[in-house]
Amino acid sequence: MKKTLIIVFSLIAITALQAQNYYVYVAAESEDEVALVKFDGKKAETIKNIPVGIWPAENEGPHGITVGPEGKYWYLSLAHGNPFGTLYKYETGTDKAVGSVTLGLFPASMQVSAATGLLYCVNFNLHGDMVPSTVSVVDVESMTELTQITTGAMPHGSRLTSDGLKQYSVAMMSGELFEIDAISLKITKTLDLDEASKLAPEDHSMMDHSKMDMGKSKMDEEKKSMAGMDHSQMDHSKMDMGGMPAMKHSAFKPTWVSTHPTKNLVYVAGNGAAEVLEISTDTWKTTRKFKTDKGPYNIDISPDGKRMVVSYKTAAKTGVWDLESGKELARLDNSQKVTHGVAISSDSKFAFVSVEGIGDDPGMVDVIDLTTNRLIDTAYLGKQAGGIAFWKIER
Amino acid sequence: MKKLKKALYILALLFPVTLFAQKEIVIEPANITMEVGQKKQITAYVMENGKKLKDPINLLSRARRSLSIDSTMMAHAIQPGTYDIVAVADGVRKNFQIKVNYPAIASIKIDDIPQKIYAGTSIALKYHVIDKSGATRDNVDVQFSSMYGNIAEVDDFGMVNTLIPGKATITVKAENITNTITVNVVSNPIVKIQLEAEMNTARTGDVFHFKAKALDKNGKIVEDAPIFYSFSGVSDNTSQSASGLIKNDGRFVADEAGRYTVTASCGVASASKTLKITPREVTRKIEMVGQGSVNDKHTSDFWVWEGIDGRDYAVTGTWGADGTAYFWDVTDPSNISKIDSVQVDARTVNDVKISEDGKICVISREGASDRKNGLVIIDVSNPRDVEIISRFDENMTGGVHNVFISGDYLYALSGGQKYYIIDIKDPKNPRAVSKFELDTPGHSIHDVWVEDGIAYSSNWADGIQLVDVGNGIAGGSPENPKQFASYAYPNKANHASFPFRSPSTGKFYVIGGDEIFPYGLNTGKGGVNMAGGYLHVVDFTDLENPQEVARFEVPYAGSHNYWIEGETLYVAFYNGGVRVVDLSGELMGDLRKQGREIAWIIPNDANGYTANAPFTWGAQLHKGHVFFSDWNSGLWSAKLEPEKPKNTPIKVK
Repeated sequence: MKKTLIIVFSLIAITALQAQNYYVYVAAESEDEVALVKFDGKKAETIKNIPVGIWPAENEGPHGITVGPEGKYWYLSLAHGNPFGTLYKYETGTDKAVGSVTLGLFPASMQVSAATGLLYCVNFNLHGDMVPSTVSVVDVESMTELTQITTGAMPHGSRLTSDGLKQYSVAMMSGELFEIDAISLKITKTLDLDEASKLAPEDHSMMDHSKMDMGKSKMDEEKKSMAGMDHSQMDHSKMDMGGMPAMKHSAFKPTWVSTHPTKNLVYVAGNGAAEVLEISTDTWKTTRKFKTDKGPYNIDISPDGKRMVVSYKTAAKTGVWDLESGKELARLDNSQKVTHGVAISSDSKFAFVSVEGIGDDPGMVDVIDLTTNRLIDTAYLGKQAGGIAFWKIER
Repeated sequence: MKKLKKALYILALLFPVTLFAQKEIVIEPANITMEVGQKKQITAYVMENGKKLKDPINLLSRARRSLSIDSTMMAHAIQPGTYDIVAVADGVRKNFQIKVNYPAIASIKIDDIPQKIYAGTSIALKYHVIDKSGATRDNVDVQFSSMYGNIAEVDDFGMVNTLIPGKATITVKAENITNTITVNVVSNPIVKIQLEAEMNTARTGDVFHFKAKALDKNGKIVEDAPIFYSFSGVSDNTSQSASGLIKNDGRFVADEAGRYTVTASCGVASASKTLKITPREVTRKIEMVGQGSVNDKHTSDFWVWEGIDGRDYAVTGTWGADGTAYFWDVTDPSNISKIDSVQVDARTVNDVKISEDGKICVISREGASDRKNGLVIIDVSNPRDVEIISRFDENMTGGVHNVFISGDYLYALSGGQKYYIIDIKDPKNPRAVSKFELDTPGHSIHDVWVEDGIAYSSNWADGIQLVDVGNGIAGGSPENPKQFASYAYPNKANHASFPFRSPSTGKFYVIGGDEIFPYGLNTGKGGVNMAGGYLHVVDFTDLENPQEVARFEVPYAGSHNYWIEGETLYVAFYNGGVRVVDLSGELMGDLRKQGREIAWIIPNDANGYTANAPFTWGAQLHKGHVFFSDWNSGLWSAKLEPEKPKNTPIKVK
């Protein structure tokens, strides 16, 4: 009888596991569409394309996307406007637009705080002068921009702690990490990441990767790719700084920050330095440095706190890291060039990685099994797959 | 029973603690009303289980420019109204309102009126209601009254109608504030109106200039007589109504053929003149000649030019695709052939332009894979083997939507905010020499066109901007652009601008075009679309005082790019195809209704990217052929029948 019960329960458990469907929203930046991608554990496919934007003949560039903590709404930033970008609020499931608000120049990544219910969106100002930009704070109930908090040049990667009380962003050009109190909306800490990188206590670049599971990539020689912008090499001497003093151009070039779900740690991608820094939010010092492949761009930490998945934009690869040991478990080739965003499922089992492509390449989402560190399948969507947000698991 | 108790006990333990420990934000005072300019301290704290917590809390105004709250919870009332405030703390929030009272009305200002008003004439009062904060208010009930209604009466809208000589007191009242003026009505000396016009027959669309003189009993002109113009008419076509437009300076234009009577009046004196209006009869045949098909992607803008070898060529861009621009031999417009192409890192090559010497091409780049957009300069000396000379991205990474070449300079839009002027004397080493950008809040720009040293930019809500970039009218140059005139129209949709110096009138018009998609746009394969918007004709003859005088609108279609040669306009109207429009003579009123449309042609292509879904992008006249690009089908050519000499009978089969 006992044996029978075990078998029955095991079968039920297996069936339940197999019947799980995962859903992610992905922005196709050069298509002005958002794709809803479904993954059933084996196969990933776009099940819906949602046209976005209001200026049909212009490319408005859906860039950042997030699902609210309650799962009822998803939020999308449209980078280009006249000239300011717009934040849209959509109902999950129906994907009906229910609100919008104008933000700053090139609004990008964002997240909604579970503590305040407010949304914090960085105004990337990617194409503007190298002057400090802002974080917009939005009341998503009324879709009202409550304030803009000035941070650094080209802020990106807005992420909140799991309790929703602290917001972190990095400034790509000025090379800074900012901590904002989600209630007072004041900057509570800033960190020079170029300095933090130099002072990092541990350098994983000396690690032996020879025994690493390389997945299907087998560490191919890097393909020439269309890299992200390297502003540190650009001549901005003729740029109109609007009377502002000249700003440093970070060589570290941070593009993302993610928070640990349970520890007081944040992880910062140094796109220009090919490294990820682990920074203690208590001591505000670097605790570990992870050497990565070229162009680490986005990061997501698994909800169980065990894995860090990093998109290597320049290398067109994705790195899967074990946070306990600090080892890179796998470095996987993505399906095409220009790897962009990462979203990990709420059960910490799968990583969904958006891959932009070039020209009229379709956008793609590569699904990586975080238990085997293998790429399982790829979903196809509109051009330039970028912002990505995990929505739900459904049985 | 025991089991039930145990189960209830476990359930109670598992029940969310938060239900018993509900946090709440308390705002004091509970009801807050403020006056404009006032500051008020607000108290807010978190309560839990009847205990006051020390949780941090923040009060955030949803209208911070009208009512702000600082970090010490001091509210500052800036504008009247009722404002929503959000109080946030860890895991709890509360919405409440603060009312800021409208200030009481302080005064009513009435603009000066003439010292004497002739009995039987009318005058509209112009007034401004000012409140105690100094703001002009248009949300208050305003009442008008006349103390001596037998001399002058006033209606609900402030129009004063005078009746007999005398002094009447007109009172304007808002809330408890009044202002009173005295209207001095004098006897009307005018016994006769003389009305003249330069002609009494004309075609639809021809503009009359009436001149009316008010005379007293001695035949002397009364210079300060207010003259009012009106018209009535009967159309020759019983299915149509006679319509037209008359202005109070005596200009009149008729839309329909028929008989019209124009009347000038002053009090009881009036004069009328009857006019005979004939059809404009400018229509001509237009025939499709050839097509260079592009059916695997959308086509954007194009340019046709004579190459240095004397043959004729065209370049077309592509939209939402793979960054390709195509080059065509169009020497024989009936046999358009693709001869070369370039592909750049872009998803959209929205605009393409050729230098006047036919050697240089510039194409715009948007949607680059690294988000680093810009423009590309191409050697088209041999259009069969074009070569990229250089790429220019500095300050252009936000995307170049439109470009123009004038002399040795490129004009390139940047990120929809401004345009840069780029020296291309050495096309291998282009360098920006200046930029033009408005300073209005939220300004944006869509296009720029340069002619005779004047840059005409299209700036959405900021309208048409005229900038001296070498003309000399305002001392500008490419290195030092100087804005000298502008005109913005209410729909805020200015997307294109094209100058037109009318040879037959000497007037200087700029035609501003809308771009509106009221029904959305399906950009995918299979999408069939309709656009909206029209052309606004703005008379810039008086640069200080430009006037919007006419419009050209095609029902259920929308304007896009256009070209003017001589006195003829060639305009793409998206789903409405290409429209050829007669711009001869003075322009006033509704040009299409006046029968100024010479011809139209719509490119249907069963093999298009979307089949049979014409969506025409732009038009250009080149060596007698009308070339145009279409979003779904590529490049086309058409031939307009030559204009027939006037008074030549049209043969009918």
